[in-house]
Amino acid sequence: MSTTLALHIRSLKFQYPGTADKQWTVNILDFKLAPAEQTLLTGGSGSGKSTLLQLVAGLLDIQQGSIEVAGVSLASLSRAKRDLHRGRTTGMIFQTFNLLHGFSACENVMAALMFSSIPPSQHRATALQLLAQLGIDKPDSDPDRLSVGQQQRVAVARAIACKPALILADEPTASLDPENAGGAMDLIQQTCRSIGAALLCVSHDPAMASRFERRISLRDLNAQATQEAAR
Amino acid sequence: MSNSMTDWTIILRSLRARLFSTITTVVTVAVAVALMLVLLMMRDSGRRAFERGSGNMHLLVSADASPLVSILNGIFYANPPRRPIAWSKYQEIAAKFPLDFAVPTQLGDSYQGNPVLATTPEFFTKFQPVPKEPWKLVSGKFFATEWQVVLGARAAATTGLKLGDQIALTHGAGGSRDTGASKDAQPGPAPGHVHSEFKYTVVGILEPTGSAHDRALFTNLNSTWIIHAFDRRERAEHAADSSKDHDHADHDHDHDHDHDHKAHHEPPMTLADITDEDRKVTGLYLRLITREGSDSPANLPQIFDILRRDPTITVAQPNQEITRLFSIVGNIDQILVGMAGVVMASSGIAIMLALYNSMEQRRRQIAVLRVLGASQTRIFGLVLTESALVGVLGAILGLVISLLGVRIVTAIMRDRLGLVIEPLLSPEVAMLVVVATIALGVLAGFIPALMAYRTPVAKNLKPLG
Repeated sequence: MSTTLALHIRSLKFQYPGTADKQWTVNILDFKLAPAEQTLLTGGSGSGKSTLLQLVAGLLDIQQGSIEVAGVSLASLSRAKRDLHRGRTTGMIFQTFNLLHGFSACENVMAALMFSSIPPSQHRATALQLLAQLGIDKPDSDPDRLSVGQQQRVAVARAIACKPALILADEPTASLDPENAGGAMDLIQQTCRSIGAALLCVSHDPAMASRFERRISLRDLNAQATQEAAR
Repeated sequence: MSNSMTDWTIILRSLRARLFSTITTVVTVAVAVALMLVLLMMRDSGRRAFERGSGNMHLLVSADASPLVSILNGIFYANPPRRPIAWSKYQEIAAKFPLDFAVPTQLGDSYQGNPVLATTPEFFTKFQPVPKEPWKLVSGKFFATEWQVVLGARAAATTGLKLGDQIALTHGAGGSRDTGASKDAQPGPAPGHVHSEFKYTVVGILEPTGSAHDRALFTNLNSTWIIHAFDRRERAEHAADSSKDHDHADHDHDHDHDHDHKAHHEPPMTLADITDEDRKVTGLYLRLITREGSDSPANLPQIFDILRRDPTITVAQPNQEITRLFSIVGNIDQILVGMAGVVMASSGIAIMLALYNSMEQRRRQIAVLRVLGASQTRIFGLVLTESALVGVLGAILGLVISLLGVRIVTAIMRDRLGLVIEPLLSPEVAMLVVVATIALGVLAGFIPALMAYRTPVAKNLKPLG
């Protein structure tokens, strides 16, 4: 397995414009995620988890410090390159599946492959294979006509289509009942393991805790940095 | 089913998802494009139609009030000229100047609303209705003697006459012309009178020339003069009758000038009966002698000037008058083209509105594409391309509509106005309009594309509500 970290955050400080000086929304001294490592990040609303995820995904510009995803510093990339880097190295799973309406399950996965380095002629075959592995037997049907569980699978398939080094899961079970939630988490965690992707799961669902060996509260992460600075 | 997704898949799917809006927008653009193209086609071909007809003549002499009126009457058959030129004037002009031809013409008669031009055989042999395109016959021959008539292509088509058919002409165009005899100031068109005692035989049918001449029937001047002489004698007899008996009810021919001379003269008149007074013409087509390969003889301005000083006639240079006419009409068609431009611009606004409205529903799609790896620029391009595509589709449909529409318009103009217009769309103009429409589409897509560019990602991935 590669020794390159899936994610490495160093001295990251982020503040929204217009907030008081040194009021950091995100302030992380050092955070590492090894390949295939799975970590649960907890924190209530306002703890800055949404901001952190956007920073890691490269959707927000880094102000201070650095974030490396799959060994590449996001700050060193232009916005367009960062977008492409995200597409190829980072898969995202959301509370709502955010599947594209008007596109079949297969096309949803192929949409992710548009940004991969896989030759276009193999996109459909790749997508079909992936969907078959995840148990989707009607890959050409509209996601709206699939069951909730199947939609979840399509969303996972799309997130891992480019064989990313990192999967970011943002409250992936928040809109599911406990039974489905368990199944969904099994799927996400197993899939990440099978492709060797690191998983950073953000959730405030207490039932999640037992699923992860490494659990970090975002409040603690931020506090760490504050203490370090005070020392 | 294609092997991969491309930006085109997303664009086409987006257009299909809002199919009704896409179709209405495309049709809106198409109608605007078609309007513009039809106007441009008609403008060019309208000018061409007016340039046809004067042919290889250099000067038109008439007794009309102004040169422009004389052109409209003498070449485009707008109205029969009111005042004639004396035969002596024709002879004087024909003798005085170095002319290639001097073709006398006379207008005033009609057949089923089609003008009848009485002239000499030189009209067919020397005069060409379009430069370097001499008259051609579909069938039959040009007239050689009296009581023969040759039909213009349109006239043949509208009247349905064939070779050998016998017709009687109407004296007076059925218009508002007040000839000496029918001065009873009735409102509305005076019917004119049919000379059924003089039968003409159709001897030839002309090929279309694309000029106003196609509407006309052509006869020998002598025939017209004979009828004129006949009318003159009628009036004289009538005046004599009237002086004897004012209100004779069962009179053979009354004040309405109805020439139903059943028991009258048979044959009524011959060439021997006409005098110089009857030999009236309404127009002279003149062409100066030119050097080989040149069409603007050096002495044209000089001769034009000499003729212009003659107060009894009006002299016109057809080309100049048509240019003048179009400098007047030109402003109007610039206004029309300007208005079509406004219609096109508002169709651009329609594209923008349709896209703008769709953006609200597409924010999530855009956010997802961004997460999957699409850059802001790519999203911008996606929306801009979609808008341009609406422009392209509109332009293509508009081109098709315009080509069909112009056929309908020309058919109407031909049937209602008798103006033969051959619409021609130059590839350059068509290309320009198409490119302008696509540019309009791109421009219209700019604001929606900017909205797409600025779509915040995280906010639009959250659950609704």
